[in-house]
Amino acid sequence: MELFFQFLSNTGYYLADYRQLIMIVIGSFFLYLGTAKKYEPLLLVPIGFGVLVGNVPFFKGFGLGIYESNSVLHYLYFGVTTGLYPSIVFLGLGAMTDFSSLLARPSLMLLGAAAQMGIFFTLLSALALGYLPKEAASIAIIGGADGPTSIFLCAKLAPHLIGPVAIAAYSYMALIPVIQPPIMRLLTTREERLIRMPEPREVSKQELILFPVAAVLLCCFLAPASIPLLGMFFFGNFLKECGVTERLAQTARTAIIDTATILLGLTVGASTQGDVFLTPKSVGIFILGAVAFSIATGSGVIFAKIMNLFLKEKINPLLGAAGVSAVPGSAREVHLVGQAEDPENFLLMHAMACNSSGVIGSAICAGILWSFMVVL
Amino acid sequence: MYGLEAISTHNGWAMAVAGVIIVFCGLVVLSTTIGQLHKVLRLFNGGAKDYQNGKDLRRADGTEGAPASDPTMKHKLAESTRQFRLVSDRIGEPFPLPKLIERAELSGLFRPHSTINDLLKAGLIVPDGKGYFFWKQ
Repeated sequence: MELFFQFLSNTGYYLADYRQLIMIVIGSFFLYLGTAKKYEPLLLVPIGFGVLVGNVPFFKGFGLGIYESNSVLHYLYFGVTTGLYPSIVFLGLGAMTDFSSLLARPSLMLLGAAAQMGIFFTLLSALALGYLPKEAASIAIIGGADGPTSIFLCAKLAPHLIGPVAIAAYSYMALIPVIQPPIMRLLTTREERLIRMPEPREVSKQELILFPVAAVLLCCFLAPASIPLLGMFFFGNFLKECGVTERLAQTARTAIIDTATILLGLTVGASTQGDVFLTPKSVGIFILGAVAFSIATGSGVIFAKIMNLFLKEKINPLLGAAGVSAVPGSAREVHLVGQAEDPENFLLMHAMACNSSGVIGSAICAGILWSFMVVL
Repeated sequence: MYGLEAISTHNGWAMAVAGVIIVFCGLVVLSTTIGQLHKVLRLFNGGAKDYQNGKDLRRADGTEGAPASDPTMKHKLAESTRQFRLVSDRIGEPFPLPKLIERAELSGLFRPHSTINDLLKAGLIVPDGKGYFFWKQ
């Protein structure tokens, strides 16, 4: 009988804490959003399930939890804490990105730069709210709207915040259809939304091959700390474009990125344990994340309007909202908002150009912030 | 420590300003470089003479295009122009390219994308700068 009671006292039912139950509800909600509502299912489903797995109560010391050094989840979590999974995801992203629309109109890259203002504004806000500099940088990178970049920087600077930062980043990426359109409509007039973009010029294969080489050298010489991300990103793109490594590119954009996404999502979700996640700091991270996202969207749109003051051939300012790194969600939203005004206005490929430059911009910002924090 | 004092203590202002400047400069340099890439490649591939021809054509009508100097090509272009003008007359000028392609497909014209591409390169269809196109007179 004593043995039986001892067994019962080691079950999750006995050890359950109200915070774990709250996290299980949150994880279930993510699963619902991902499966029923189809909000970024490739991200929310692994994260949601990871939250469920990570918040099952257990007896500490048996090597079960993600933070226990000899557990399976801990070994899988290694890829998050070292920045391995984000780099692999970027390899796959590069192998599936088509830069032809960006190469046809390189000026759209400036919109990607402008959208990164959200990162630095949030850095100041986080410092003002009392977060330490490394924590503030880890929170600020949420404004780049790039999950792997956020996790990468957070793992380097503030590993104890990976859970809330990753959840915030991916949640807001999933909520792009809710967050961005009102900001786009608020900051633009109907006349501006009706602007049609000229047809892009044809881009040669040689340009597509040379671009990743030139870009990796230019960007990584500027911010060497972005080598793990941008090096892999442009390597993946070169595999795709060079034409002689199609098999490798195909593997990178299918099996490899899918494996990394599964393990990244699951372990990040499992790391969000109730006692770590449900704190005032996490609430602050969520609020700052929303601010970062909104500022990033708004600054991209406003910069596009500023550019139009100097351009003879105006650009549609909605494209500024696609300067965030959330590929292809924000490009899709820009296209839909443009089509709502004019069904024959096709902004998608132009928006993808801004989106692609946002990926580059946010990775550069991560490198810059990491460099700053190393110096501090 | 909170507020502006915290920002100043942790060099927040310097980090924000420097970060903005660095990321902007980096992407400006990158966009400038890739903006020149196709010109450098054209120079490298075709020589200075072809580059000058391309420049002259762009100056003349604001579009890029190779001169249709081959007689067979000229005849093909003339025939394509005639056929596509008949299609575009139903749409009116200026016309959107997707609509022209759609109408051309419905009319049974062969390979409309490729033909329109040739007409664009030859400078016979030119953009009006607002996303629409018209025939060069």
